[in-house]
Amino acid sequence: MKSEESVLEMHCIEDYLNLWAEENPAKPAVICDGETLTYEQLWQQVKERSREYQQAEGSAVLVRNTQSIDFLIQYFATHLAGKAAVPVEEDCTPDRLGSIQHQINACTIPVDVADILYTTGTTGQQKGIMISHKAIIADAENLISAMQFTKDLLFVISGPLNHIGSLSKIWPTIMVGATLCITSGMKDMNRFLQALSLPYPKVATFLVPTSIRMLLQFARKEFSGIADKIDFIETGAAPMSQSDMEALCQVLPHTRLYNTYASTETGIICTHNYNSDYCVAGCLGRPMPHSSVFITPEGNVACKGDTLMVGYVGDEELTRKVLQNGTLFTSDCGRIDQQGRLHLTGRTGDIINIGGYKVNPIEVEDAALSFPAVADCICAPSPHPVLGTVLRLYVVPKNDTVINKKELAAHLTQKLEHYKVPQLFSIVDHIERTYNGKLNRKFYTTNT
Amino acid sequence: MLPLVDLESDFLFSDLDSLGVTTILMTLSAEYGIELEAKDATPKNLRNLDSIAAMVEEKLKVKSEE
Repeated sequence: MKSEESVLEMHCIEDYLNLWAEENPAKPAVICDGETLTYEQLWQQVKERSREYQQAEGSAVLVRNTQSIDFLIQYFATHLAGKAAVPVEEDCTPDRLGSIQHQINACTIPVDVADILYTTGTTGQQKGIMISHKAIIADAENLISAMQFTKDLLFVISGPLNHIGSLSKIWPTIMVGATLCITSGMKDMNRFLQALSLPYPKVATFLVPTSIRMLLQFARKEFSGIADKIDFIETGAAPMSQSDMEALCQVLPHTRLYNTYASTETGIICTHNYNSDYCVAGCLGRPMPHSSVFITPEGNVACKGDTLMVGYVGDEELTRKVLQNGTLFTSDCGRIDQQGRLHLTGRTGDIINIGGYKVNPIEVEDAALSFPAVADCICAPSPHPVLGTVLRLYVVPKNDTVINKKELAAHLTQKLEHYKVPQLFSIVDHIERTYNGKLNRKFYTTNT
Repeated sequence: MLPLVDLESDFLFSDLDSLGVTTILMTLSAEYGIELEAKDATPKNLRNLDSIAAMVEEKLKVKSEE
């Protein structure tokens, strides 16, 4: 056994992987598509792969998210080789891949940076958010402390591993020596439910509100049937409706159900178990041990603590705008109640939240305007009975042209990640603009 | 509202994402008054339009016998 002191000296998640490979080698570390790797096997493969990465040039490695054990091996191996991992979507377009690689090659990545996660910024430009090993450890400890991750847990990941929501669940699971199960999204809900039914005494998972609504709508009976073994479910990334929260509490009466405040920039900050005497939409609970939160005079949420990002890759000016003297200023609007619980009330800016993914409408519009038949367009949120919010693109065709919606969607799919491609298309004769000629986003938001 | 994929495809399930699968289930439920569940959303049932039609016919048959 390693002494308690050596555990305290751990500086990165890979140290824990190594620890459990020595102390509990036969314990399953990860399960995916019927394949299982023990901690010893996983560590062995990580070490072998890291030797390849040590030879490679550059201080960062792009890792395409294949939602598989191999992704996990590449991710850990990159860290072990002393480089930063840059997880990107599986369907990342060649243009985007090239642009990310170019940005990373042109910058100096600080030594402690473990991950660089790419998201869309308020200007429509992609932003590479640098996360340190220290932040990863703090995030993991926050989650373990708040949600009681234990080594007999099977944590089922269904969301994309290049997104903070799912990626961040690898950290506490490995830190406590529990088992991960990787599934491929909610397209095949049966496979997800089968993963929850694996022979483990307790299971937990992270689900965005859209996935919860899908399960409530189409798999309530099956979900209810395995209620007793579901230890906890964390949700986050998007607002969850009061009715869905209450419905989930009813289906899973004994499960801890957490609504978490987190983002790539802030890390994991607050959480609240709403399967309690306080089940209120928008309540995200109190800060976790490594974090603190306050509301600025303008009403925005600001965060402090070890989980905060290092900064944006190659954009010191933007970093300085949001990260000042150890405080990260978000665009989320909120309040803190008398019990110290954070409540979110909205968001400033034009970003649209689609199932936990932040989409900048400008990026969608720019891509649509490159379609030859499009004269003008605007991308806006549109309500959907199950999915909550989807994207709708209002399009004005060029003179005497007919827009084929499928061809337009295919064009956008070539240029954008899948979640940025609108589900709905409306052909209109003009786009509403403000008095100074800007797109009137408010009109399309309030009139949908 | 239907997902913008090639509905004539014989590889419909692989062309769809989770939102597309949900959209098809919802549309069929509303259009035919049938109850569809997660277990119905299999690659076999959603392989192409013919397999979807067969699933709906089966559901309608069960509904009429109830």
